[in-house]
Amino acid sequence: MTPRRVRGLLLHVVLAGGTILALFPFYWMVVMATNTNADIYRFPPKLTFGSQLPTNLRNVFDSIDFFGSLLNTVIVATTTTLLVLFFDSLAAFAFAKFDFPGRKVLFGVLIGTFFLPVGLAIIPGFVIMVELGWVGSLKALVVPAAANAFGIFFLRQYIHNAVPDSVLDAARLDGAGFFRQYFSLIVPIVRPGLAFLGIYTFIASWNDFIWPLVVLVNPDQVTLQVALQQLNSVHGLDYSRVMTGALLSVIPLIVMFLLFARNFVSDLAMGAVGE
Amino acid sequence: MTLSRTAAPVAPKTRPRAHPHRAPGRRRRVLSYWPQYLAISPFYILFAVFGLAPVLFSFYLAFQRWDGIGEMQFAGLDNFKYLIKDEVFWLSLRNTLLIWVMSTVPTLCLALVLAVMLNSVKRFKAFYRMAFFIPNITSVVAISIFFGALFATNYGLVNGVLETVGLPGVAWLQSVWGIKTVIAVLTVWQWTGYNAIIYLAGLQTISTDLYEQAKVDGANAAQVFFRITLPLLRPIILFTVVISTVGGLQTFTEPKVLVGDTAGTGQSGLTMVFYFYRQAFSHNDYGYGAAIAMVVLLVVALFTILNWTLVQRGQDGENG
Amino acid sequence: MTISRRRLLQAGLFGMASAAVGVTAACGDDDSSGTTGGDSKELSLWYWSGGLSDKVVAAVSTQFPDITFKPTQVGGAFKDKLVTTITSRQFMPDITGIKGEDIAYFMGQAGQFLDLNELGAGDLKAQYLEWKWKQGSATDGKLIGFPIDIGPTALFYRADIFKKAGLPSEVADVTAAMGTWDTFFEQGVKLKAALPGTFMVGEAAEVFDMAVGQTTKRYADADKKFIGDQEHIRNAWDLAAKAVKLGISFKVQSGGQDANAAWNQGTLPAKLGAAWVALDIKSAAEKTSGKWRVAPMPSGPANQGGSFLAIPKSSGNPKKAFEIITWMLNADNQAKGYTDAALFPSAPAAYKLPALTAADEFFGGQVTIDVFGPAAAKIPVAYESQYDSVLREPFAAELSNVETKGKDPEKAWTDAVAAAKQAGERVGVS
Repeated sequence: MTPRRVRGLLLHVVLAGGTILALFPFYWMVVMATNTNADIYRFPPKLTFGSQLPTNLRNVFDSIDFFGSLLNTVIVATTTTLLVLFFDSLAAFAFAKFDFPGRKVLFGVLIGTFFLPVGLAIIPGFVIMVELGWVGSLKALVVPAAANAFGIFFLRQYIHNAVPDSVLDAARLDGAGFFRQYFSLIVPIVRPGLAFLGIYTFIASWNDFIWPLVVLVNPDQVTLQVALQQLNSVHGLDYSRVMTGALLSVIPLIVMFLLFARNFVSDLAMGAVGE
Repeated sequence: MTLSRTAAPVAPKTRPRAHPHRAPGRRRRVLSYWPQYLAISPFYILFAVFGLAPVLFSFYLAFQRWDGIGEMQFAGLDNFKYLIKDEVFWLSLRNTLLIWVMSTVPTLCLALVLAVMLNSVKRFKAFYRMAFFIPNITSVVAISIFFGALFATNYGLVNGVLETVGLPGVAWLQSVWGIKTVIAVLTVWQWTGYNAIIYLAGLQTISTDLYEQAKVDGANAAQVFFRITLPLLRPIILFTVVISTVGGLQTFTEPKVLVGDTAGTGQSGLTMVFYFYRQAFSHNDYGYGAAIAMVVLLVVALFTILNWTLVQRGQDGENG
Repeated sequence: MTISRRRLLQAGLFGMASAAVGVTAACGDDDSSGTTGGDSKELSLWYWSGGLSDKVVAAVSTQFPDITFKPTQVGGAFKDKLVTTITSRQFMPDITGIKGEDIAYFMGQAGQFLDLNELGAGDLKAQYLEWKWKQGSATDGKLIGFPIDIGPTALFYRADIFKKAGLPSEVADVTAAMGTWDTFFEQGVKLKAALPGTFMVGEAAEVFDMAVGQTTKRYADADKKFIGDQEHIRNAWDLAAKAVKLGISFKVQSGGQDANAAWNQGTLPAKLGAAWVALDIKSAAEKTSGKWRVAPMPSGPANQGGSFLAIPKSSGNPKKAFEIITWMLNADNQAKGYTDAALFPSAPAAYKLPALTAADEFFGGQVTIDVFGPAAAKIPVAYESQYDSVLREPFAAELSNVETKGKDPEKAWTDAVAAAKQAGERVGVS
């Protein structure tokens, strides 16, 4: 074999090894979800599938309102994502292609918000929600997240790289205003960027834990992560049940990702550094 | 028609005007940009209400004494004075920094290596990329529960493997360094792929001409990497370092789920945000919690600036 | 020019923020916005897993058909959740559980709950253990918490493992051989020698907390004075340090997964705990049924845990809520609680009921009330301050240092006391 072939093979071996490390936990979670507690506590641990899955699933559904919290999570994630895509792309367009007064300063402020530790905002945020009367409501999760700095930053880069001025100038000559340009030109062109940001936002919203934990005071209306934590603390001793719950909370997202993220890397590339 | 014009018809910079005319001109210009201001306003409004206001309130709260239910009492600098004497806080600071270094350095280095590898493979590209990114999609709660089982002393898989090959098991979650190690491993597992994909995107923008040229000039792989690849990736590396700093210094969910509210042996898992949470929500000492939060903010800002200078200085050094 | 614009921007943002802050900073203890009418037909209950018998909870709907009953098992840190909800003034349940370790804290928030005496609790006082009733009452006599269970402690052990190690395994023999801490430790050393890798004690903190529980004082007294450096704490400390020194501690977190695994594997064949711990053992180690026994705790019983039910002031139907509470906690249902959830009744009338005097097959057919009954009668009553948990924390942390990092117990003691004093100053304990 030529040195190049050897190197190529070696590369694949290393990458395959890495893939195993990356994906192994999911295999192991399935193992735990299909076994009983006694099997999990065995030493050395059992590495193969058992047949406990139906029982464990039933236990999970008895312990938490799985489908209810799943629905809540889907509602929150979807609404947040749609709002983010709309607000962020609109703002990004403004920043990317228009030199309005104060643009630099405002954009600087935007960048500055990256550095604000979010943990700080929990207590005051909670108090604000109390005053607004949004405690326990899904509104409290969606509204604060409806526009974020990262999305604007990313899409601005994207628009900057992907939308030629000539296209916009032509549209302006035709009399198109800001919003018309946005809807008919920008949105179609930056669709891949929107896809990336959409996936990114959806995932972040789906996995959000601390804020929903604090603000969804009504235990009957929670998101999936909070329900999972409830499961863990109420039935923490029942490991097979908890792992089944964890697995269930992870699967929908992976499926979604596999379906929609084919061009994840190239979408990201366009936004990060241009073509 | 110039292709470089991105602005609306009037380009302020190229039109010096006498003073008296400026005000009305600017007002008209500002008003003519109303769509743009409208477009960017949702973010700033939301940020002001849900981002800035809480931080300012936190700042205010740090000078109060409040248990969440009763009245607030002004406490002046008491919270901060106590903070300086508080051994547990300084412990949490040390823990946070240690965990951050133990997590971030391996993550970013591995991510870079991984990105280079991913860039070189010809087949299964999409598969590898997706596979390595998937750890990042998993919720921290689920993963922390899982890693708790993986590294359990008596029945965890890791010890199982160790003992099968004849090595003694380690009390991972019952020892000071063990706890930090597990948290670091968890973080590396979850974030390497994410950072690698970002680096990969950056690598793909480097023109292959540069590599060709370098090969013609007789450079070997290492030289290519350090002299060409790395410098060109610097902005992206800076980005990931900053994000990792801001995120890493606020680690909380992982230790909380892994070692519980006591923060484990010797409180080894007690990070600053964890301590903040304990003071605010378990001890109902919101004022003190806010004071801790303020210090977290300072530390994050400090280290971000530190990292920024380090990476930037490196760049200037390279080019200079 | 740029500067002034930036300042303008900052001023604008600050203005908006101040407005928001001003609104939120005005939050204080104003009247809750919950229903103040007293006749809601829907009543909610918050409790935690194992806090009440699920069967009794389920039976409430049948017993009280004229209302809709909504019980919820709240996971996570129950107290944190409750306090957050109180702060938010919304979604407060109509009835709530309060854990024994938190009742002292909520005494400081007594205004958030109704005085059960005003609903007629006084008539029932005689049916419950006096010290428990007192524990649920504020200093001015208001009854905040209605007693659910108490937590008389004992020694749970695996008879089969003890036998294998050559230790006494029948209850009577164990009682005789491990009557004091010292003899208990001796047996622990024997256990380790006979079966290496097997430990008598889960972690030093267990010994410490039990020993403190056997005294009549805690970390602060009724005048908010710090007493954590006194003899009773010091003795408990020395005992815990001794357990570490003798090497009989497994160093696993009490109630954690590793402990559960150890119960299953037989490497932790003993557990010092309250009656309700039986439920934990049963759920974590079902396969070991029949092998456990219960013996009296070395050097006498303590009380650990034991909770209450309370009615928040925003409750939608206080009268009905009180009826439900007192029905759920009558002697019969408390007996059911013992069978279902190992909740040791706080109503002495229950002790004679068949449910209590039955044999428990998990414990090899032993009649466990023979151990818990006498233990309950001898529980030393102590004043528990709302600051105890804060003051205890440094002791637990330093003990963990002694146990796992090998820190010198003397130094650890000094550090713990200093840190506890400092923490105490912060909350007003001198």
